Amino acid sequence: MDRHMNGQTTVEELMNPEKGSPGAGEDMEAAESFIQQAMEIILQEAVKKATNVKEKVCEWRSPEQLKELLDLELKDTGESESKILQCCRDTIRYSVKTGHPRFFNQLFAGMEPHSMVASFITEAIKTSLYTYEMAPVFTLIEDALLKTMMKLIGWEEGGDGLFNPGGSMSNMYAVNLARYRYCPDFKEIGIYASPRLVILTSQEGHYSLAKAAALLGFGTKNVYVVPSDNRGKMIPSKLEEKIQLAKSEGAVPFFVNATAGTTVLGAFDPIDEIADICEKHNLWLHVDACWGGGALVSKKHRHLLKGIQRVNSVAWNLHKMLMATLQCSAFLVRDKSCLLQRCHCAGASYLFQQDKFYDVSYDTGDKSVQCSRKPDAFKFWLVWKAVGTRELEYRVDRALALARYLAQEIKKREGFRLVIEPEFANVCFWYIPPSLRNLPESLELWKKLHTVAPAVKERMMKSGSMMIGYQKHGDKPNFFRMVVISPQVSRQDLDFVLDEIHSLGKDL
Amino acid sequence: MEATTGDLTDPLINHADGQLFLHEAFKIIVEEVLCKGTDVKEKVCEWREPEELARLLDLELREKGEPQENLLQRVRDVAKYSIKTSHPRFFNQQFAGVDYHSLAGRFLSEALNTNLFTYEVAPVFVLMEAEVLRGLRELVGWTEGDGLFCPGGSTSNMYAMNLARYRLYPEVKSRGLWSLPQLTIFTSPESHYSVKKGAAFMGFGMDNVILVKGAAPFLVSCTSGTTVQGAFDPLHRIADICDKHKLWLHVDAAWGGSVLFSKKHRHLMKGVHRANSVAWNPHKMLVAGLQCSVLLLKDTTDLLKKCHCANATYLFQQDKFYDVNLDVGDKSVQCSRKVDCLKLWVMWKAVGSAGLEQRVDKAFLHARYVVDQMKKREGFQLLREPEFVNVCFWFIPPSLRGKEKNADYQNRLAKVAPVIKERMMKQGTMMVGYQPLGDRVNFFRITILSPLVSQKDMDFFLDEIERLGNDL
Repeated sequence: MDRHMNGQTTVEELMNPEKGSPGAGEDMEAAESFIQQAMEIILQEAVKKATNVKEKVCEWRSPEQLKELLDLELKDTGESESKILQCCRDTIRYSVKTGHPRFFNQLFAGMEPHSMVASFITEAIKTSLYTYEMAPVFTLIEDALLKTMMKLIGWEEGGDGLFNPGGSMSNMYAVNLARYRYCPDFKEIGIYASPRLVILTSQEGHYSLAKAAALLGFGTKNVYVVPSDNRGKMIPSKLEEKIQLAKSEGAVPFFVNATAGTTVLGAFDPIDEIADICEKHNLWLHVDACWGGGALVSKKHRHLLKGIQRVNSVAWNLHKMLMATLQCSAFLVRDKSCLLQRCHCAGASYLFQQDKFYDVSYDTGDKSVQCSRKPDAFKFWLVWKAVGTRELEYRVDRALALARYLAQEIKKREGFRLVIEPEFANVCFWYIPPSLRNLPESLELWKKLHTVAPAVKERMMKSGSMMIGYQKHGDKPNFFRMVVISPQVSRQDLDFVLDEIHSLGKDL
Repeated sequence: MEATTGDLTDPLINHADGQLFLHEAFKIIVEEVLCKGTDVKEKVCEWREPEELARLLDLELREKGEPQENLLQRVRDVAKYSIKTSHPRFFNQQFAGVDYHSLAGRFLSEALNTNLFTYEVAPVFVLMEAEVLRGLRELVGWTEGDGLFCPGGSTSNMYAMNLARYRLYPEVKSRGLWSLPQLTIFTSPESHYSVKKGAAFMGFGMDNVILVKGAAPFLVSCTSGTTVQGAFDPLHRIADICDKHKLWLHVDAAWGGSVLFSKKHRHLMKGVHRANSVAWNPHKMLVAGLQCSVLLLKDTTDLLKKCHCANATYLFQQDKFYDVNLDVGDKSVQCSRKVDCLKLWVMWKAVGSAGLEQRVDKAFLHARYVVDQMKKREGFQLLREPEFVNVCFWFIPPSLRGKEKNADYQNRLAKVAPVIKERMMKQGTMMVGYQPLGDRVNFFRITILSPLVSQKDMDFFLDEIERLGNDL
């Protein structure tokens, strides 16, 4: 495919695909050869090397340097095949290896080969999940996976749901459904004339609730934040207070978001107690289990989500703890009245004809606010088929055992201090370099400590040895947040993390 | 099985096994999806009723896993029963065909598995996305601006509505719609339904998507390339009205935007540079692969970020060691955001703007050819002369020809397309969409955009409609 189209082409030439647009696969052999070569590079560089502990996690370059190295400019004429393949190599080289055993920066990590295969299939098949006619296989697979997830949640009668482009979207769906249930007319007339509706979430809840409030027209001020305790869990009595407060203002609380696995601390709100309050006040209860949902596959740890069978809706991201490739975000609602469809439908006649020759209840498109929708469920269905529930459980248990191991080690080592005892996979801690260890607990110490994590982070990224996130939190100075997910990670990697932090930070 | 400390010593997963599986599965993907899926001698689809397909696929998720041979068979089954959307006789939607460069880009995006929220986790893609957006804005006629990739055109349209609302009433972000007058969105009856869905989702209400007396218009959403007929709204004239009334002008060019690559056809979007925002889906006519949808903005005041930011401290720390303006995450309503720019960038690099221009021009030529042929054949009746690549027509079987005056003509005509559709799907010879529109009964809409399509396929398409429908 080292061809360039120069000069004018005649109508006859254009009408014949053999001489059509370069790169469009008119020559199957050439196309296949290109794809094979590209795939070879991907397998070697982006999979094999990228998961090899002896390689770097990242090849840091400043933006200016990187721009020069990548030659991003898009031109009028195309480039040769060898140049394109080199572009692929460069893209891989300077990208962060999120599947590397020492990548702990986010709430996703590791590399699940079955999911990756499913992703490749999805890309090759290239279809959209709006109608059964367009995606028969993926429609049924999405449905089967959702039903299995509902069983784990404990919804005996089943429910409804779909996969979204991200957990933020799932949380938005929950808010929208709750609003629709409260008053279906809002769908047509908007919320201008309605009383002020209030959303409640904990102070540790994900920021997507605030974004949801802004986008859906409620306003971020109408998200009432419920204080959490020192373990990061929503305090039910404070929830009751906030509900009463809203009511006393003449506002209408209608939605509560409980978080199962908060982003920073990995805390789990007490769902049963929150459900009691929501039932009493007839509020929609949604559980943002994007991060913590993975605990449901573990008999040992599912108690963290005790009470989840009582809630109205759940968001659960399989691309986090369970390692599906991004994105794989499920939204589940305990409803059998087609609420999702009624809330979102627009009945577009070019997609959802009612006179089709098959049962149109299989067309899921009108449950969504999207039109085209990717078949993300398949990326986890294949994993589950490949490894089975027991293996998934083992992986989760192991990740949490590793987290506990790390916490124990931190307690043993001088200069390391846990923020709180982890109950999930987030291990939050400070590294206190020797120079600060004898300072009294004071504002001065916190100020100095605040500068340690960013400096260590910079050093680890420039050396490419590992990646760990840090953040400030409330009034606490910057601390590291280690997140243990991947079954490829072992004790040695965690020992390495602590050694490396000390090695990078001891002179600070 | 309890995970004890002893089990933590070594990695659990054996990557060699995983890599072997990837290797074997990829061979199947190439053979079954890429080769067979684009081969005109193979079927476009292998139709099965839902219950039967469910049995064939063995959907149940169990306690135990399966050996690799089983999984590879599953890969084959998924390929077999999925629609071959790259097939030269797939004309059902506004995407089709395959570009192998973009496909490589898509495989690579999946393998690198990252989110586009910060420079630290996606350095290459933050820079790449900016470059691609710059190139697309240039085609719109903007030398500066903003934008991002969205998970679909519906989301891009929602962003435009949100930005327009925020620009006019910045307090809406914190106070909500209760503090505002009833806002109205103007759009045409042929616009995409995402404008209505977006309006409902964002609290405006679907009823406020048309002209309403006494309300406060704030946005006009016009369409460059309507979904069914492929019509282009007159942008200059609409822009004049928007300028006069200070309304945000959004152009939903999800379908038609790609004409901007073509010197010959870009006139269809004359005036687009006067818009405030443009939605454009390269996964449609440019064959970039789902999803590849952009929102482009003329704004240079960081409106996108101001409107959407929530400043999460665990992602957007202000004390990072690099310029945090590169962290684009807070421009989005999403948190995780997929890398959708690579697929377009690789393709654009490989074929150049000239190559993409050719792709667009060729699609127009195919549409022209089909229209000319239809005019020569009895039984094919165009709805109207197409200005784009949507060719909408009725097939009138011999039994109905000349009977337009009959009282039940429309009813009988309405039944023709569904039956032909059922037959083509069950035989797997091709796929074309049909729908009613307003008071016009079911008609076919063929959208011709795939670079794999040739004149032979156009002729086949016409012959096949006749073959499938002649006895009706």
